[in-house]
Amino acid sequence: MSEEPTGTNIEGDSPKAEEVIETDEATVTEESELERTLGLTGGLAIGIGTMIGAGIFVFPGLAGAEVGTAATASFAVGGVIALLVALPTSELATAMPKSGGGYYFISRGLGTLAGTIVGLSLWLGLVFATAFYLVGLGYYALDGLAEIGVTVGASPGIIVSALAVVFGVAFTILNITGTENAAKLQNGIVALLLSMLVAFLGFGLLEAFGFVDADTPASEAADVWEVVPVLSVAALVFTSYLGFAQVATVAGEMKKPGRNLPLAMIGSVVIVTFLYVITIFVATDVFDRQALDDAGETAMVEIGRQLLGTPGALIIILGGLLATMSSANASILSTSRAIYGVSKDALLPQWASRVNLKYGTPHVALGMAGGPVVVLAATRQVQLLAEVASFLHLIMYGLICVALIAIRRDEPDWYDPDFRVPGGNAIPAVGALASFGLIGFMDRLSIAVGLVVIAATAGWYFYYAGDVNLRGAL
Amino acid sequence: MTRVLVPVKVLEGGTVSPGLMSLLGTVDVTVLGYHVLPEQTPPDQARFQYEDRAVDALEDLTQEFRAAGGAADYRLVFTHDREKTIERVADDVNARAFAVSGITGDVDRLLVSVTGDVAADRILGFVEEVVGDREIDVTLFAAVKEADADGAADELEVKAERLRGSGIAVETQVAVGAPYKKLLDTVPGHDAVVVGEKAPSLRSLVFGDEAEKMAAASVGPVLVVRHDEALDG
Repeated sequence: MSEEPTGTNIEGDSPKAEEVIETDEATVTEESELERTLGLTGGLAIGIGTMIGAGIFVFPGLAGAEVGTAATASFAVGGVIALLVALPTSELATAMPKSGGGYYFISRGLGTLAGTIVGLSLWLGLVFATAFYLVGLGYYALDGLAEIGVTVGASPGIIVSALAVVFGVAFTILNITGTENAAKLQNGIVALLLSMLVAFLGFGLLEAFGFVDADTPASEAADVWEVVPVLSVAALVFTSYLGFAQVATVAGEMKKPGRNLPLAMIGSVVIVTFLYVITIFVATDVFDRQALDDAGETAMVEIGRQLLGTPGALIIILGGLLATMSSANASILSTSRAIYGVSKDALLPQWASRVNLKYGTPHVALGMAGGPVVVLAATRQVQLLAEVASFLHLIMYGLICVALIAIRRDEPDWYDPDFRVPGGNAIPAVGALASFGLIGFMDRLSIAVGLVVIAATAGWYFYYAGDVNLRGAL
Repeated sequence: MTRVLVPVKVLEGGTVSPGLMSLLGTVDVTVLGYHVLPEQTPPDQARFQYEDRAVDALEDLTQEFRAAGGAADYRLVFTHDREKTIERVADDVNARAFAVSGITGDVDRLLVSVTGDVAADRILGFVEEVVGDREIDVTLFAAVKEADADGAADELEVKAERLRGSGIAVETQVAVGAPYKKLLDTVPGHDAVVVGEKAPSLRSLVFGDEAEKMAAASVGPVLVVRHDEALDG
């Protein structure tokens, strides 16, 4: 069986591949070694740091406004689907601990067409997700300004767009020129956020069960415990669960990947699901649907104010700023790795993964991440951005599950994962069905935009790289 | 055969002074060419762009080490974490010491610090091997608290006798005060410094900053003799 990728793209480049030996601490190639430097904490920080910005600080208001307390079920459904995909992703990642994550598994398991679609959709899906985080950041920054008494003449919408664009440009430039390691900062931010949340949610739970009384208004608008609305909300908020795939994009840099990758992916999904469900419970206990709808993207700020007064509001604003920043920043980093994975396999021009000589950073890939992000963020379409991001990720998640089944059916010699999903093909099969099924509950416009993106990536494959064969090539 | 790891920032003009090369002529050398990347850059991605240049530079360096006497090879690592890389490769090639490069001409006199170090035997054994039968003199140095000064001088003399037994000319010097500062004060008149890696808990100190600072402050190269769990407990 040939394990070399074959074929060339329209520019005559072929995929770069060679024999490598993966050890726990480094990847050993013929001439050099690539150090693995990310530990379990770093992996969890990427996963959790990417996810909580959306799930805790942006969605409670939007989701609670739709179905009230039933949104806890929506988040639980999202968490279960994420877990059903995180398990197969873990198996594949321990067998192929490489940069590129989901793209890599699918191109090897299902071939170049599926690989190209997923690789490019992963890039664009992350672009949509990053734009979404930036709009969330814009809303929190606006609330922060209002809280410290700064009022701006322009309409709030314009200001949110402007803030999102400014932050997007700033993150891109910082990532291109900054050589200081932000990893420790990211770990610190995630630790701070988690402790703030635990304290805040703990108080919220005490209030909800009547141990303390913060004089919350009595609920009037009833919760909507019905299957279709609950699943629609699940489809909307699924963006809160995209972070574990980001962990897979740094698989090539993870120490002891056989142990740390599954723990980081599954662990971060379990932790955030738990936090989301409690947050929604507290949020919908404090405010009913109408009040949440009025408060919008930053409803959590009003909930903080209701529970703890102005200090509560300030804590939530600070948390929201940190969380959306860390989500946006981690996503920009993952995007450039996604682009690198595809460009290395000759599915994008190889200049896309050039490294800047002055700063040692992949400036082209970071620009390809930051540029479209800024444009999308300016639209301020929170729901559309979130759903398209989820759509593109769900396609990838479904295909990851299919790829696992395909690879297992005809296991190549090199396939030797440290972690195997128990129960045969049941979990990946349900995971695939659930991922594709959830798409059906999205807004029509989001589905249409998603399909256009998919069609464009498929078109790119036939135009640019129809001759490249990656299937089965390690 | 004793092996010494020589880490070199290979793509940022890192090089090894001729004096250090000839000092290490009596032992085997692994040149560790490393390139530290910001976290935005997957190591793999930088490799495609820089590998050829780095390999050229390392082959030249390795050739020069061979010409200086001992067997030499090289490793090339792309990393986000320099210390982790040095430690991993040092373990991997079973290096007894690693060198922090500094500028020096021919080495005539080594300053060897055995301050408070349980691994004094290993340091002395390493010095014997490096010096071999060459005309390189040694100053044995220990910094102590005031109360211990007398006993320390005697202990140092015992260690000096061991080196003299191998035909090395040795002076001893006991200083009272802060070990690091006193050691630096003693550096003038010496061409290179040999120190022991401290207990594992303090390893990162010697490893990263202190050895580098010492090399910068003393101008000359610093050889750090590694701690060994099996031998030192």
